[in-house]
Amino acid sequence: MSEEEKEIVVKIKRFSKEKGSWWQEYKLKVDRFTQMTEVLRRIKTEQDPTLAYRASCHMAVCGSCGMKINGEPRLACKTLALDMVRKYGKNEITIEPMDFFPVIKDLVVDWTDFYNRMFKVKPRLYPSKEVLEGKAEHRLKPEDQRELWKFEQCIWCGLCVSACPSVKNDPEFLGPAAHAKGYRFLADPRDTIFDERLKILIDSAWRCTYCYQCFNVCPRDIEPVTTIKKTRAYTKFLSEKTPVALTGEKHAEAIVKSIEESGKIEEAKVYISTYGLLTAITDMIYAMQNGKLKYALVTQKKVKDVEQIRKIMGE
Amino acid sequence: MEKLSYDAIVIGGGLAGLMAAHEIAVSGYKVAVISKVFPTRSHSSSAEGGIAAYIEGNSDPNDNPDYMTYDTIKGGDFLVDQDAAELLSQKSGEIVRIMESWGTLFNRQPDGRVAVRYFGGQTYPRTRFVGDKTGMALLHTLFQRVSGLDIDFYNEWFALDLIRDDKRVVGVVAMEMKSMTPVFFKARAIVMATGGMGMLYAHSTNAYINTGDGYAMALRAGAALKDPEFVQFHPTALYPSDILISEAARGEGAILINNKGERFMARYAPRKLDLAPRDITSRAIITEIREGRGFPGGYVGLDLRHLGEDYIKERLALAYEAAKNFAGVDATQEPIPVRPAQHYYMGGIDVDITGQNPDLIGLFAAGEAACVSVHGANRLGSNSLLETLVFGRETGRAVAKFLSEHKEEDSNSLDKEAEKVVDDAYKFVKSESGVHFGEILNKLRNVMWEKVGIFRDEDGMKDALSQIIELRKMTSSMYVLDKSTTYNTEFFNALELRNMLDLAIVIARTALERKESRGAHYRTDYPERDDKNWLKHTIAYLKGETVEITYKPVRITRWKPEPRVY
Repeated sequence: MSEEEKEIVVKIKRFSKEKGSWWQEYKLKVDRFTQMTEVLRRIKTEQDPTLAYRASCHMAVCGSCGMKINGEPRLACKTLALDMVRKYGKNEITIEPMDFFPVIKDLVVDWTDFYNRMFKVKPRLYPSKEVLEGKAEHRLKPEDQRELWKFEQCIWCGLCVSACPSVKNDPEFLGPAAHAKGYRFLADPRDTIFDERLKILIDSAWRCTYCYQCFNVCPRDIEPVTTIKKTRAYTKFLSEKTPVALTGEKHAEAIVKSIEESGKIEEAKVYISTYGLLTAITDMIYAMQNGKLKYALVTQKKVKDVEQIRKIMGE
Repeated sequence: MEKLSYDAIVIGGGLAGLMAAHEIAVSGYKVAVISKVFPTRSHSSSAEGGIAAYIEGNSDPNDNPDYMTYDTIKGGDFLVDQDAAELLSQKSGEIVRIMESWGTLFNRQPDGRVAVRYFGGQTYPRTRFVGDKTGMALLHTLFQRVSGLDIDFYNEWFALDLIRDDKRVVGVVAMEMKSMTPVFFKARAIVMATGGMGMLYAHSTNAYINTGDGYAMALRAGAALKDPEFVQFHPTALYPSDILISEAARGEGAILINNKGERFMARYAPRKLDLAPRDITSRAIITEIREGRGFPGGYVGLDLRHLGEDYIKERLALAYEAAKNFAGVDATQEPIPVRPAQHYYMGGIDVDITGQNPDLIGLFAAGEAACVSVHGANRLGSNSLLETLVFGRETGRAVAKFLSEHKEEDSNSLDKEAEKVVDDAYKFVKSESGVHFGEILNKLRNVMWEKVGIFRDEDGMKDALSQIIELRKMTSSMYVLDKSTTYNTEFFNALELRNMLDLAIVIARTALERKESRGAHYRTDYPERDDKNWLKHTIAYLKGETVEITYKPVRITRWKPEPRVY
């Protein structure tokens, strides 16, 4: 194995309450195995002890070292310095604190809001009394274990929340990590508070925009957005639906109907079915004022063999 | 200084601490957990392969708790207190059942029951697992469970020192890292669940946070460490980043090969082969490398290829990922480069099987911070997760019992002592110029690795001891450049170094004293186990620069020491 060393420049966005914000540059030699947590550790122990960052396990299971590296939300430990050099074609690497979270010091951010989101979904199993008392034993199918374990592997690193546009704009949205956690228990056959979980999760699930940022940045590949999709499928079990959930449900139904009819998603029809005629007209006036009505009124031709599509949908 | 009062304080938010806190809280006592990281960031999360358990009706039909006890005792080279090992085996099934009932997603058998696999040193397979992220799965389950209880969490608070009167521990001073505000936490009982100390070694699989804080706090408060010379080196850390490649790999059938392609363990452990205990396997690997049969750079190969891609990716996902991400090796195509690295500390705060320390009334310890003497001279794989939960629970229960028997006593005003703890911390970093913590730290880690590591001898350890004393002197000219009063990690790193130096001197001194080889303590100048003179526990106190050593007998119930052959 070659361990050829290469000098890199690391530019870190620093912050302290006393001094405010500034960029600082460090130079050091790394090889193909050097993790970014090691880069930070070496800067701190060999060059600048004042640098503040969090890191613990260095193997991507503790979730401490989330930060922005060359603008990407990443775990520092799961990022090799020379991979960044190769990917961006330059030997300069920038490091900044995660977005969205308030900065406390340098790369250390305040996680309070994130933890509160996680606790909102009651992130623990509520097993039956018999099992808790040791009178009964859970059985779990291997395939159920596999499915749930995929979503249980959230390490609370916060990267998905830092990258999520809906979290920033919608205070009612729980955020991707909390949804992954919530779904993991919602879908667990050993849990006993299904209805309560529906109330917590369904409304929020319809507030996601499916932008897939969480899917892209998750260092454990747990696909928070997938859990949101799966959670939406439980809407039919919710007894008292919120307006957001109702609209969401109607929208989903309208899309299915449109595809069944024409084989295509007819935006105008879907819009009317989702929001009702009155809202649609109001919105159309608004669209007209902005010169965008022509897009809404594009008429779609039926696809040729729509029967076949219906057959697929029916399956 | 602000004061807060609890019945009990647990320091450390890993598995042992959380389990102890759980038991104290459900007994109706007011308990707080102080941790320098958010609990799920604790090092318990890094435990990979599994948790050993004899489960009645779900174990090998020939197995029973006695075999498990025997394996643990033999694995520990007979330095194990046998009553502790018996308790560990007997409670193992119950602990796994509890964690399962709280939601841990153990891998399953086709009939829906918890699955099992082999680990090193086991007569029958007993390791229960969640892929190879068992620690993470258990830690999240337990943290989520206790987060629903009435427990106050002080996360990212750094414990400075214990406060004691002439015979009792009465509290701890801790500092909120964000605001740097110290608080005197008063309590009738303190549980040290501060984990291990891997950062003392240049090569370690441990998290950066494992700086031995609890050992040093206990030593400074006048409590003893038991068997501090016993440090475990894991045979298969990924080269060169020292990320752990779980023993589960060998449990599932992976083999170690040298540069000639030989399965060299056949020469060192003809029967157990690659599943020999960690101390034996680590020494075998280093011997292969030293005798020129390693690969350039100094490593051997861990070959998984015959297991097949699907099996590797499901059962050994973390090993596969780590090799791919951190060494650029596809484990389905080529052997993983591995070498030994510090992994676990068998030594710890001296406690009995209820977690109670005999030196200070009200002081308890659990998990890696403690030495219940369940691992003896070498811990078996899958026994650490089990220990954290079994003895975390025993300790929590003992604390509840202790609290019911020890009502509030008039403690003298110890506010001055609390102030002094904070003064001492700042004094430790008072210089305006000189060296910063990193220089001393890096030297310490190298000397421990080279001279108090896998192979030890008198000259090396004497040299190490004098170097450690030198490094301790150097701290008088240590300075902290960062004057910030918000989340000043340089300040806390310096205090971690203080803890590491207090522990290092005790390890080096006691290792020099034990003139035999037993388990992980291997001396080239005394290569044999010597039961006549050394079948006893080391008990070490730190008085200034002096390490005072006494001994305690090993508790032997049913298993007489015998040669340890695998």
